[in-house]
Amino acid sequence: MNDPFTVLGIGEDAGDDEIKQRYLAQVRAFPPDREPERFQAYRAAYEAVRDQRKRLEAKLLRINDAALSRLKLAVLSPSRPVCGRATKATVTALLLEGIDRVCTKVSGSSES
Amino acid sequence: MSDRLRQGPFHEASVPPLAAKATEALRLGDFKQAIELFKRLVKQDARPEWRDALTEAYAGRARILAAKGMFEEAETALSKTTAPDGTVLDPLLYVQCLVKRGQLRKAAELAVKYIGNNRVPASTAPKLAELAAALWLAAPVPLAAPVDHKSEAGKWVEHAAAAQQSLTAWIEGKPRQEIDQLLSRIPLRSAFRALRLILKSLMIAAADPARARQLLDGIPPESAFASFRLAVEAALPEGTPEPVAMPSKAQQVFAVEVKGLPGAASQSLVQWTKAERSGPGALLTFLASQTSTLPADDVKSACLNLLPQAPDRLRQFESAFGLLSKFDKNRVLALAAEARNDWERAEQCWTIAAQSIEPAAGMETGLSAGVIYRHLARLAHEHPEIEGEGKSEFPAIEYLELSLRADPDHLPTVLQLTGLYRKHRQDRDWHRLAEDAAQRFPEESAVLLQATDSAIARKAYKKAVGFARKLLALDPINQAARQRMIELHISHAHKQIRLKRADLAWKELAEAAEWERPGAPSFLLHINQGLVGRELGQEPDAEARLRRGVELAGGGVAGWFRASLEHALMNASEANGALLRQELTRAQQTAAPTKEEILSIVSAVGNKDARESKKAVRGLIFRIRGWLLKGGGLAWSAAEFHAMAEMFGRVDAYDLLADYAKLAGRRAPEEATWRYYQVVARSKGDPARLSFAEREELFGMEEVAVRRRDFHTANRIQRFIEGSGPKSAQRRGSRRVSRADLMDFDDDNESLLLELLAVGLEDTPPDMVKRMIEKLGRRQAVTALVDRIRATPLGDMPEPLLRELAKNIVESVIATNGQARHE
Repeated sequence: MNDPFTVLGIGEDAGDDEIKQRYLAQVRAFPPDREPERFQAYRAAYEAVRDQRKRLEAKLLRINDAALSRLKLAVLSPSRPVCGRATKATVTALLLEGIDRVCTKVSGSSES
Repeated sequence: MSDRLRQGPFHEASVPPLAAKATEALRLGDFKQAIELFKRLVKQDARPEWRDALTEAYAGRARILAAKGMFEEAETALSKTTAPDGTVLDPLLYVQCLVKRGQLRKAAELAVKYIGNNRVPASTAPKLAELAAALWLAAPVPLAAPVDHKSEAGKWVEHAAAAQQSLTAWIEGKPRQEIDQLLSRIPLRSAFRALRLILKSLMIAAADPARARQLLDGIPPESAFASFRLAVEAALPEGTPEPVAMPSKAQQVFAVEVKGLPGAASQSLVQWTKAERSGPGALLTFLASQTSTLPADDVKSACLNLLPQAPDRLRQFESAFGLLSKFDKNRVLALAAEARNDWERAEQCWTIAAQSIEPAAGMETGLSAGVIYRHLARLAHEHPEIEGEGKSEFPAIEYLELSLRADPDHLPTVLQLTGLYRKHRQDRDWHRLAEDAAQRFPEESAVLLQATDSAIARKAYKKAVGFARKLLALDPINQAARQRMIELHISHAHKQIRLKRADLAWKELAEAAEWERPGAPSFLLHINQGLVGRELGQEPDAEARLRRGVELAGGGVAGWFRASLEHALMNASEANGALLRQELTRAQQTAAPTKEEILSIVSAVGNKDARESKKAVRGLIFRIRGWLLKGGGLAWSAAEFHAMAEMFGRVDAYDLLADYAKLAGRRAPEEATWRYYQVVARSKGDPARLSFAEREELFGMEEVAVRRRDFHTANRIQRFIEGSGPKSAQRRGSRRVSRADLMDFDDDNESLLLELLAVGLEDTPPDMVKRMIEKLGRRQAVTALVDRIRATPLGDMPEPLLRELAKNIVESVIATNGQARHE
């Protein structure tokens, strides 16, 4: 699982209320009947940080990518509007990424 | 499986055994075996149903190989399913294998070929069509002009052309109207629908990001276009709605391109990507140099999180961000040690980290120390290298105690520690903690149940009743608490019967009945009421109650065994004995044993009272011996077998154990458990009776178990080897400290121990050891030497220490006299 702070998009110092609100907002945006995989990811992340002891476990015993993700998003400066165009190579790379992902999933589920 | 095969003639009595075996292998998913067998059958007679089954077996095998990542082999297996028209049985899997092997053009060609093909199952056709769409856009292959424009394949080709044109138009920056016109040629039911949604979303993103996001929601995460969708989503204003994972390289580049980010950002991203590719150390160095351009706190936090993967950059980190606290430094070192499986070092660093914050006041420091000690307790379960400080025989207990001291309100730790005290027979600690916990957590039913058990165990019956009543006030249907109280009263009733006070026993049972929940009758209570009622002459009600109890206990041998056991435990008059014997004999003649029945008997014999009445239980087991023998051929799992073996051992039924182990060994010869129990049965559970070869074999099994990290088995074997004779308790108790002893022995006390050995081994001079090595080889010489030491005053040492000592002597003799002649 990705680290729970990154999945929920919260800081490592977020408190119980903030985490719960963020989780509920994500579940509302991606309800389990429509997006079961995302819901599972949010649920698992929420369970991993829902109280102070669990948050400490996540912070102390595991390596988390939360700060790294924030930095990367800062580099990508999300506040700028989308008005440019991507190159063909980039679009092809994105398509190949999606194809690879879907093929990996098919092979994983084929056995069952 | 094909219907033809399922309903075919294979199930008839005349079916050849090979065909039946092949069908069964296919049904069980043993495709390798099914392929072999159907190949033989088809060679003999190419019946269509056997050819179909062979094809199906190849497809099944391909699925398994693909799931293991063996795509080339899966592709080969699938190629064997090719029909005369050139189609394969599972085209989606075939395309997937080609993609995973990097053969994109071939995959695209093949996927396109299957569009509209009626051999593709309806359930996978849309997936295959969409995958073909994405593949064709990524790796275009020439498309044949469709014969029929209205056919599914014809429509797909038309949509493909429109999709490619609109994508090119968007990439080339053509005006929105032009792109819209092209997109309108892609219907929403087309396989290219996702591309239409993505391009629409990109065109309205700047003006209406919410609508853009809404459009993207129409692309499911399992779509082949999902990565493209996420890239667009991540680039939309107001940040990403779901930062589920860090953006991929392609997604990052996409964001830079569509947002027209300044050169500095692109440059920075390129450097970042390069550093990331070179490993965590390089990334840390890169990030540490970016404190002026990126948020400093996040840079420090990111670097701190990279440190466990690059501990050699610790000094660099400290020079960039200042000295780390003792806690942080040891945490980083502990995580780094864990990453390289150095558990001793991890334990050392975690302990220092926890100790460094313990004295500090404050809730968070206490919780942090608690978290670390609990982590160490978990590690102690999994890695024998974690040893604690030796304050307890069991390091997990030691660390849980420390955790509880740092964080006394952590309920799961309380319950876990109580359970461990109980399991390891640390009764004083168990009772103390159970009592404390009941006061600290008066509203927790799990705690109250533990407190009830503890009170029963120390015969504080009033307290037990008090705890049980509190528990039922909180949780009125708690069956476990009711069961405990019923058992408690039954145990008292047994005592009364033994004192020939059937009337008082009846009273106890009446009190037990108060704990019985309506609708959930207790078989134990019914049986006891029946038996005591018969003692009091309350016929025919008593017998009816007894029979009802037997029925509730599962009836048959299991039910009558249970009744006979209760009768034996209360040591009642012969009046019941005759009836029970008669019924038990009749039940044995009625039906062959089942696993459930035998396991029910195992569970009854494992009961505390039964454990204390070995003689009575042994007699009962002897009475059903013939019936039990018939159960040896059942397919027992290793876990079930352990429980049964324990019962057989407890009642000295080693002949039954030998029989069961032998039959199990025939069924699954590769499973070492059966061989272990054969050795246990042959030595009648007494390691002193083990032959030299058997002892060696057990040590071998233990080593294999340790290598595959099966510590349960390793400990079981070790306990057996150590666990008998007058010194058993002492040896068992010293098991945990042995490793520490060995380390001391290696470092400091070797000469002292050698002196001791010289005294004890006056009749085993070095020359004799040398001869033993030459004759037996190094390994067996060690074992022979262990046997000799065992007979000396040093024989009381724990087994591992004995072996280590013998090993050192053998090594030192080899070092002095050259290599052992043979191994």
